[in-house]
Amino acid sequence: MVIKAPPTTLTIHEIYQRIISDNDLFIVDVRNQEDFATWHIETAQDIDMVNVPYFDFLEDETGSVEQVKTEKEVVVVCAKEGSSAFVADILHQHGFQANYLAGGIKEWGNHYVFRTVQETDNWQIYQVDRAARGCLSYVLISNGEAVIIDPLRHTDKYLDFLQQKGATLTYLLDTHAHADHISGAPDLAAATGAPYYLHPYDGIHPFDILPPKISYKMLADGDEFTVGDLKIRAIHAPGHTLGQVAFLVTAASGEQFFFSGDTIFLDSFGRPDLGGQGEKWAPIVYDTLFNIIKEAVSDEALLLPGHYAKASEANLNGLFAQTMKQMWQSNGALQYTERDEFISFVLSNLPTMPEQYIEIKRVNAGLVEPDEEAMSELELGKNICALSDAYDKK
Amino acid sequence: MSEQTYEISTTLDVTGLMCPMPLVKARKAIMDLEVGQVIEVLATDKGSIKDFQGWAKVAKNVELLAQNEKEGGDTTIYAHVVKRTK
Ligand SMILES: [Fe+2]
Ligand SMILES: [Fe+2]
Repeated sequence: MVIKAPPTTLTIHEIYQRIISDNDLFIVDVRNQEDFATWHIETAQDIDMVNVPYFDFLEDETGSVEQVKTEKEVVVVCAKEGSSAFVADILHQHGFQANYLAGGIKEWGNHYVFRTVQETDNWQIYQVDRAARGCLSYVLISNGEAVIIDPLRHTDKYLDFLQQKGATLTYLLDTHAHADHISGAPDLAAATGAPYYLHPYDGIHPFDILPPKISYKMLADGDEFTVGDLKIRAIHAPGHTLGQVAFLVTAASGEQFFFSGDTIFLDSFGRPDLGGQGEKWAPIVYDTLFNIIKEAVSDEALLLPGHYAKASEANLNGLFAQTMKQMWQSNGALQYTERDEFISFVLSNLPTMPEQYIEIKRVNAGLVEPDEEAMSELELGKNICALSDAYDKK
Repeated sequence: MSEQTYEISTTLDVTGLMCPMPLVKARKAIMDLEVGQVIEVLATDKGSIKDFQGWAKVAKNVELLAQNEKEGGDTTIYAHVVKRTK
């Protein structure tokens, strides 16, 4: 028998790259079943993966090892690192080439992937994917100036990227006050001095009805921002929140990009009830989708949404994007286009509202300031901003 | 978990230890108990709550009687009460 090298750590970056390029890893997630169900490593391609809790290895080593049916190199994943090192040792003793994820599953939660949407000599657009959560944000660069749309909490990822591109942050734009994740915009504004724009309706916490304690500049329908060869126009598109805004970007070449925030997604749309007013806001969602957005955004514009539900929504380049025309044809949640039918469909398909979403909105309004541990606790698991979760269960 | 009164025979302190150690040590300590005796395992790792629940389901010789939260200064202590059944 060939003796395999003893277990060592692999970073989440190394693991992710290996899966998307060669898919030559087998993942053994040793967390308990509940935590595994909440979230685990996921990519657009199918991953070879089993969930066998580490306490199963303690109680029944032989039976547990038998569940690792692979010739591939194994990566063990757990909450922090201890149990995965422990199980990797067991697997190594059984003849496997086994390593483990450095830092545990939270490193997956903090993993950001920057993908090129389009790069020309004069302007560039990048999609930033926080894959564990299905959250997308965007960096637009032209003439050495940069705009970030919906920046996420780990601000150093954006600052490093901008430095690497030699661009100066000019505007920070949030499409709305987020409920599923903590915005990175206030911290980026403090770090760089760039102005942070948000629609004032979303400055106010929808449950607490208290004035926000963050400072931001008020965004209004029709506001325009110019960065080099890119023109950005704000479109007030309420329903998911009252202050929800989408951005239509037109390049000097005439190409258009629609940054939809949580209005419309590739295969769903933003739920109307995260402000506690689903019945009142569902009709507004209808008007926004079928009147405002349909009127304002051409079929040729490339839709760049704020979320995805499944990694398999990515196109062949790994991007979460498609033309508006494709979206109108294939969006599985838009089966009802008649107003009353649409509204009753929405209201009978609302996913549960995660309890922590109210608190995340407080963080984003500056009403509370949790520490790092509390923030990552709030952000556990996938976003549930779309209607599609309930829709998929049907 | 069934509502029942119990008498604790031993207390095992695994505060400060991260998984898998609380469970590894608890399993060892249980083997020193008589069948029917109860051990209380004091842990600070929050993940131990679900892990003890999952473990009690697969282990054939234990029953998880209770899980209590106690304030221990700055940190919360999770007390897992486990009975040896076999
Ligand atoms: Fe949202
Ligand atoms: Fe969202």
